[in-house]
Amino acid sequence: MAAAALPASDGAEPRPPVGVVFDGDLATRPDAVLAVALLNGLSAKGEARRISLSVSGPSLAAARLADVLAEFYPTLPAGAGYLTVGMPDGAVSRDDAPALAQALAAKAPDGAPLFESRVERLIDTADNATLIRNMLLAQHDGNAVVVLAGAATGLARLLGMHGAREQIVAKVQHLVVAVGAFPSGGADVSIATDVAAARRLFAEWPTPIVAVGSEVGEAVRYPGAKLTEGLAWSGAHPVAAACRALGATSRDVPSAALAAVLHAVHPDARELRLSEPGNIGVLDDGRTRFVPSAAGRHRYLVVDPAQRGRLLSSYMSLVSAQPAPRPVRRPPPMAAAGAPAAAGAPAAAAATPAVPATPAGGKP
Amino acid sequence: MSNPWKFLPRRAFLRGLGTAVALPFLDAMQPALAASAKPPVRLAFLYVPNGIDMANWNVATDGPLGELPRVLAPLSALRGDMLQLGNLTHNSGRALLDGPGDHARCSGSYLTGIQVRKSTVDIASSISCDQIVAARVGVATRFASLELGMDDVRQAGDCDSGYSCAYTNNLAWRSATQPLPPILNPRLLFERLFGSGPALSPEQVARRARDRRSILDFVVSDARSLQVALGPTDVRKLDEYLTSIREVEHQLAKAEASDGAVEPGMDKPYGTPPDFADHFKLMTDMISVAFAADLTRVVTFLVTREGTQRAYREIGIPDGHHPLSHHKNNPELMEKVTRINEYHTAQLAGWLGRLKATTEGDGNLLDNSLIVYGSGISDGNRHLHDDLPTLVFGRGGGAVRSGRRITYRRETPMANLHLTLMDRMGVRVDNFGDASGRLDLASLS
Repeated sequence: MAAAALPASDGAEPRPPVGVVFDGDLATRPDAVLAVALLNGLSAKGEARRISLSVSGPSLAAARLADVLAEFYPTLPAGAGYLTVGMPDGAVSRDDAPALAQALAAKAPDGAPLFESRVERLIDTADNATLIRNMLLAQHDGNAVVVLAGAATGLARLLGMHGAREQIVAKVQHLVVAVGAFPSGGADVSIATDVAAARRLFAEWPTPIVAVGSEVGEAVRYPGAKLTEGLAWSGAHPVAAACRALGATSRDVPSAALAAVLHAVHPDARELRLSEPGNIGVLDDGRTRFVPSAAGRHRYLVVDPAQRGRLLSSYMSLVSAQPAPRPVRRPPPMAAAGAPAAAGAPAAAAATPAVPATPAGGKP
Repeated sequence: MSNPWKFLPRRAFLRGLGTAVALPFLDAMQPALAASAKPPVRLAFLYVPNGIDMANWNVATDGPLGELPRVLAPLSALRGDMLQLGNLTHNSGRALLDGPGDHARCSGSYLTGIQVRKSTVDIASSISCDQIVAARVGVATRFASLELGMDDVRQAGDCDSGYSCAYTNNLAWRSATQPLPPILNPRLLFERLFGSGPALSPEQVARRARDRRSILDFVVSDARSLQVALGPTDVRKLDEYLTSIREVEHQLAKAEASDGAVEPGMDKPYGTPPDFADHFKLMTDMISVAFAADLTRVVTFLVTREGTQRAYREIGIPDGHHPLSHHKNNPELMEKVTRINEYHTAQLAGWLGRLKATTEGDGNLLDNSLIVYGSGISDGNRHLHDDLPTLVFGRGGGAVRSGRRITYRRETPMANLHLTLMDRMGVRVDNFGDASGRLDLASLS
């Protein structure tokens, strides 16, 4: 597989591995939950960084899961706080995703919660479009990718934010969307949830888009029976708990979101190949249509049948990886020498977060 | 004998011997205002640096304000006039890819909403929201805006890790490359507001002040003539107003008299009160007069600058504010930061109380204002730029429901507040800084 980190330019410090924005339906799609675990596996190998985690629909249960996953797979140095999770605006039901909510409320025999989340209310989350915009600004040019495995509500809103389009062009290599069916197929719930947003996304997103249709997910199903086995190294693994709540452990799970993350980080992975270019349209009922066009900016992924076993093996290995080591906090550079009354950098023990970090326990 | 004051315009002056003192908003002006009889809305931003002790700042729950935490306690009498906003964020204050320099970045972005260019010479910011408002509403007043401060006006040099002092020492930006340096010296501010002669040095201004009587002595004839034509309410208002100017003059005279009694080595500009509270009161009293007389409707007040080394010996704290803010959770140092924060809000409370006591139209001057008090850093020890300490005082002429805390979603851009305030000032712009929308200042989250 190709190295994910971009080379340093003009002899400067090497860039970090490619940053991945993940926006997915963690309330109903087990493959989206597994994709977060797979992204951790890539991070553990030093091939990617999760820079933003958001849920694609207004679900507090899903946001709680995202927060639990973010804590389980931390991406910031110890003591540097945590990254807020994103969620689109919208009416939030108190009892959405009840099975998931119940799983997250599980307690140990001593009564202690198995999974602690800082998300209790809407105000504990960020608008996902704003969060993604802010996180992209902290990335080197061309060193980010975006993965969507759910409704396009947040990304469509991002497109409407002043100046965001230019930032996307500068920062994002490509968008990979695990929605639809290609070159054609049945309706997709993720698209039908917000058809207008999906249309806007395919019509206006300014970088190349790679779509991972349901046929890719069906081609390689993640065996539910193997799922908990691979995660058994943790007595309270939130991915296992969530997948169990979503019914994924009793069946084989389509893997579109996993393919999307893998392709986003390793676009030249040989297990997956790209279609010819074209344009993806969205029908009223949530179906997608691909129309080939030499000038098109969209492609879809195709699984090489001979590579299915290899692909599944990659998925399982990456999903079951233990959390990537936390990055090491570097002391900030010294303040400018000779600066009069220089404000300077904060104390080394409190290095400036380059990204939107929130201090631990930082609720009002 | 004809009455020269029969039709009193909104912008009227008392005149005499080269002096023109603007009048406050009087009932007698309302017929002349016809349909637009409502007093104008004023906008002010007061900035305090190096973050706040957030544990003693944030109210625990959303909704009507009850008992206030320690830093806000001095404002208890004003809780009904106050909004505390939670979770507002300045992403452009963060390092992103620019490394150290949070103090300069957050100061430069506070009212502009953009990430300023890291440079000591090639500065680049953006027009600030106060100046967008001033460009529109300022045409109706003698001064489109006033920029005040109490700390430092250096415009060149490196004030923070490669950032120009222009970023730390200014809040208002007329354009991307034109900051508006604040006036620090109270006498200069007074002369700007009420003087009409050529620009003089602070020393010349002070000498002239010592040699002459009150500025009001020159307009006394006009004032008497006006009082005859006014109703009793207006007579009282005018008397209060002229008294407030006289009081400012007394404060100025006291400050100038203190110039010989300053500790050796103390960095105190001529005519500036050595005591923080006295200086703050003098500056804010002049803001009050400027608001009452509609000399301006837009003020920025950089109380002290980011990274300031200012000590607060007045309250027994000889340490510099900025070093204290990096307390590393040392309880003794944290206590000093909290006391500085309290001291600041106590001064603020004094000013706002005086604004509230100034009647105007059917309400008071505070009712007809939008006064933002805050900082571009929340936790000064860690240089965090989310959940920024933000208070909004006043009702903006009825546009704001006060007396509550509203917590927005995390990462909500501070520029959303700026857009909202510009709306309330009657200045509608589509985009500003990194705003993602507008705030609902009335609803609870």
